[in-house]
Amino acid sequence: MSLIIYAILASAISGSLCGVSGTLISRLRISTLVFAIAHGALCGAALGLAIGADTLITAISIAILTAMIIGPISDATGIPSSTIAMVLFSIYNALTFIFILLSPGPALAAEKVGGILWGSVLAVTNRFLTLLIATLFLYVLILRILWRRFQSILFDRELAESEGVNTKLYVYLLIILVGVIITLSLKIVGGFLVFSLLYIPAACSMRISDHLTGRITSSAIIGSLSGISGVLVSFYLNLPIGACIVIAASIIFVISILIAYIK
Amino acid sequence: MGAQNRYRGNFQGTDSIIELYGVSTVYAGEKRPAIKDITFSIEKGEYVLISGPNGAGKTTLLETILGLLKPRSGKIKLLGYEIPRRALEARKLCSYVPQDFIRSPDEVFKAKEVVAMGIASNRPLGKLRRDDWRRVEEALELLGISDLAERPIGKLSGGQQQKVFIARALVRDPRVLFLDEPFSALDSKSRIFLSDLLEELHEEDKTILLVAHAPPELKSIDREIYMVEGRIEKVIVH
Repeated sequence: MSLIIYAILASAISGSLCGVSGTLISRLRISTLVFAIAHGALCGAALGLAIGADTLITAISIAILTAMIIGPISDATGIPSSTIAMVLFSIYNALTFIFILLSPGPALAAEKVGGILWGSVLAVTNRFLTLLIATLFLYVLILRILWRRFQSILFDRELAESEGVNTKLYVYLLIILVGVIITLSLKIVGGFLVFSLLYIPAACSMRISDHLTGRITSSAIIGSLSGISGVLVSFYLNLPIGACIVIAASIIFVISILIAYIK
Repeated sequence: MGAQNRYRGNFQGTDSIIELYGVSTVYAGEKRPAIKDITFSIEKGEYVLISGPNGAGKTTLLETILGLLKPRSGKIKLLGYEIPRRALEARKLCSYVPQDFIRSPDEVFKAKEVVAMGIASNRPLGKLRRDDWRRVEEALELLGISDLAERPIGKLSGGQQQKVFIARALVRDPRVLFLDEPFSALDSKSRIFLSDLLEELHEEDKTILLVAHAPPELKSIDREIYMVEGRIEKVIVH
């Protein structure tokens, strides 16, 4: 397959996964946690560059580690998890800059460094696409099987907990999945912009549907459309793929606001 | 069912459903405990009112018994399960109507979905059976809100939303019912209805723990625990 087909497929899958995740994260009010995980993934990728390891593996490792340590640190210190997440976010930012400067070759000019910061179409390899498709299947499968559980937690986490639901288990499962999705998407849209792809489709979907399943479906479609149109514009105008995807998502967001306003 | 058998085995011949020994709970970042050195037990089928002024620790007490708040000291048993260690198992047999229930107008879940979540919590992977939806309809009908089943909960009035939460608690057919200010948003007719309904549940041997600041006339209360500043000030046996 040609590079553009690979890029379109990967961006469409990545966009839909990010869109769905953004909608779920907003409902759970764990945006700051996911913010820390996203920057953990970026830091992990930078670490991979610095030590010459596989950036995907180091990024996923730090993202999952972050998802798993925020809760226990919060429990042990009595400090809210959102504050712990922001502390980690700052640490990760500092470490990312250090690792980038330590990476071999001229800092920031290297193609690999640029790839993790603002995304690269060259990241879409056969292995990467397979990983994305596997993640998509796993994500859909888990959401389908556990949807009633997630529904209850998304409505009121404390009430679900009072009814004997192990909410921590399900929320952590979701956070880890989102960590993996962010890490994979980071390769396409880059560490600076991945967060936009999580929230812009979610924000659009609020304008489109009054039901949660409708919002999830529409955020998946909008994320996917943003990915496809972003790749096409990027190829046509020779601009960074990540920035083009986010601009495409932003244009859809403005259109959704205008449609809602006209209605 | 398994949980019910364990509950019988753990009780060592007593009929106590809830047992607290010297329980104190402190909120994170606070020095003063919200509840201090609380000791009491509640027997099976008892209907207990917890009253007291604002900030007395009534809600903290309920949430500590359920294990939603971790006590700093003391021991708690709910249905024979040690709390908070085995809280998840105990909570499967309980229902809780929280004090803060008002949802914003953009809340998307329908009233019937919210009630069904009460049953889903006790089902493997949350999967509902066809019979469960019939129970949801019955619970909505009991509370007189069948006509609101398809409406998003955020679009309902405060009183209607409170009824949805009460229906969610009742649809679980709990052994212990924890109610935190369940009359707060109800009109006078609904308050009397709920008061009568709680009496019926009491007659069915359900254990009821009711927190109410200014309750309507409650005829069948067995005991009233009056709290002030986190401590039990007095216990009135009715």
